[in-house]
Amino acid sequence: MGVIRTQLSTIAHGRSGDKGDLVNIGLIAHRMEWFPFLEKCVTAEWLKEIFADMVTGEVEIHSVPGIGGLNCIMQGALQGGGTIALRKDAQGKMMGQVILQAEIELDEAEAKKLGVPIPS
Amino acid sequence: MTRIGGAGGFWGDQVFAPIDLLVGADLDYLTMDYLAEVTMSILAKQMARDPQKGWATDLLDWLRAGGISLLHEKKTRLVTNAGGANPHACAEAVLALACEIGWVDCRIAMVSGDDVLPLIDDVLGGGKAVEHMDSGDSLFNVRSDIVSANAYLGAGAIAHALEKGADIVITGRVADASLIVGSMLHSEGWATRSLDKGKAVFSLVEEWAPDDLKNPLDVLAGWTLAGHLIECGAQVTGGNSSDWEVIPNLADVGYPIAEISRNGDSIITKLEGTGGSVSRRTVAEQMLYEIGDPTSYMTPDVIVDLSKTKLKKAGKNRIKVSGTKGRAAPPTLKVSSNYRDGWFTAGDLVIPGPDARGRAEKTDLILRERLSDLEGIEIFTEFFGAGASLPIGLQHLATDPSEIIIRWAAKSQMRSEIIEFSRSIAPLVLTGPAGVAGYSARGRPREQLRFFPFLLQRELVEPRIQITMMQTLRLRLKEMDSRIDGVLTRIQKMADGEPEGLWRRRVARRVLRRLERPQVKN
Repeated sequence: MGVIRTQLSTIAHGRSGDKGDLVNIGLIAHRMEWFPFLEKCVTAEWLKEIFADMVTGEVEIHSVPGIGGLNCIMQGALQGGGTIALRKDAQGKMMGQVILQAEIELDEAEAKKLGVPIPS
Repeated sequence: MTRIGGAGGFWGDQVFAPIDLLVGADLDYLTMDYLAEVTMSILAKQMARDPQKGWATDLLDWLRAGGISLLHEKKTRLVTNAGGANPHACAEAVLALACEIGWVDCRIAMVSGDDVLPLIDDVLGGGKAVEHMDSGDSLFNVRSDIVSANAYLGAGAIAHALEKGADIVITGRVADASLIVGSMLHSEGWATRSLDKGKAVFSLVEEWAPDDLKNPLDVLAGWTLAGHLIECGAQVTGGNSSDWEVIPNLADVGYPIAEISRNGDSIITKLEGTGGSVSRRTVAEQMLYEIGDPTSYMTPDVIVDLSKTKLKKAGKNRIKVSGTKGRAAPPTLKVSSNYRDGWFTAGDLVIPGPDARGRAEKTDLILRERLSDLEGIEIFTEFFGAGASLPIGLQHLATDPSEIIIRWAAKSQMRSEIIEFSRSIAPLVLTGPAGVAGYSARGRPREQLRFFPFLLQRELVEPRIQITMMQTLRLRLKEMDSRIDGVLTRIQKMADGEPEGLWRRRVARRVLRRLERPQVKN
């Protein structure tokens, strides 16, 4: 028994949007009991590293336990803000779907116990 | 319980959505949000050019195509921020429509006072520092370039307008969810109480609550969340959902309805017999959409804590929302201002394979070399199809594409540089690598508006309410037919092309088609 690698989309779904120069990504665990996996995998450091070229400011993660969700706030994510961004996706609407493709690692025993589909 | 429809997510959303909701549901209030962060600046610029403009004219498209008659017939109150920078002109246009259909006692309320541009110099002149909410930059440095500054008004003015008998409330910049909260304050009698107790329109709405209510802030928070959930239209009913592959019939997606209780709980649902879906998943995604700290979602009415909010299935396409907590609203209001910051344009070309990436990189290089003597321009290139959506940490997921769209965007303080950039794109078709294609019209330079949000003391902002009626026309219109048959004839005429233009004709045809759709019984 070790770790398994899978996409973030295996355990969560999400949506992103903008406010000024920040993008927030809301991520929600598919099942309440998988929320701890989500909390463990998605950290500010992890997001900062993945979005290193797109996000220049701080990244904060807030827990929304009532729905098994996380709100990830990324400052400096829109080249100064949605109205002046040069990027085609000036509102960061793609980011929420893009991050779901990222690879995460789960403890195999835990994942099996909680019924996370394991990639073959 | 109060039923409130959310018939649009932004200026440009499907224009017949409000008609669908009015025809298919019995609503107490229909709410429509038209204003994004930058919209007020665009509207302010429009009004400067033409004093009749500066508001969301989409409103007229659906009102004219039967909407105004439906509001009248079904006695549904419309609450919308379509007034933008010019609620007065918007209200006049809507009143003219009410007049056309013979709705002689239609009361239209305008809510204004959100424009704080005239206040800025007083505030700055008084030696007060005004800082950007996020970056801390000083407003003083950009004062001369500011195009608009609008405070986000709260629910109080909307509630008072409804209390004065308004059938239609047209506002300027109001916080999106406050359209719904204002309706609830009216529906649940808080507005009546506030008038009885002599509370001013700008007082904190939690003070308007009935005495026996133990947790007015939690109630306000629940109402605000219900508003937040429906103010983006179909985004809560299956649009923009991670479940897009399995959401049924998005072509005919239903717009949302919130059934809101006096205790703050609500049920989010959608129009019966339409496409889309309302599930815990679609509601959860919308709940976190464009929010900051989930324990402190700031609005002019209340600070919402949705960290413990529960979503529970309560039937097919029905989700119960409960457990939302509230704290007292802050002493400040958020002001959204925008200032001029140079010029912008964008353009794109398509590049074929083999080696699409190689050709794209070469094309980009050629363009940049040709423009290398422009000193003030910043050019940003994206290769769509070859990983443009992927951040650096996911670049390994990019695959070798069979073709690429190159998209360039540029900004400069000099308009002339943007024009030169724009003119340099088309020649690449004849002077770059083989097979470059897809050139359309030259992009026009567009003035850039940079967002500058700041906070202003609440007491400096005074919401105003004006009610307009057409009593003088009452006699003349008395004999006019205000029944739906007459209205249908008028829509039919419009669909046949008389006397409106192509766009209105199309809207009218779609409306007719929808009116003919068989009703689905519960």
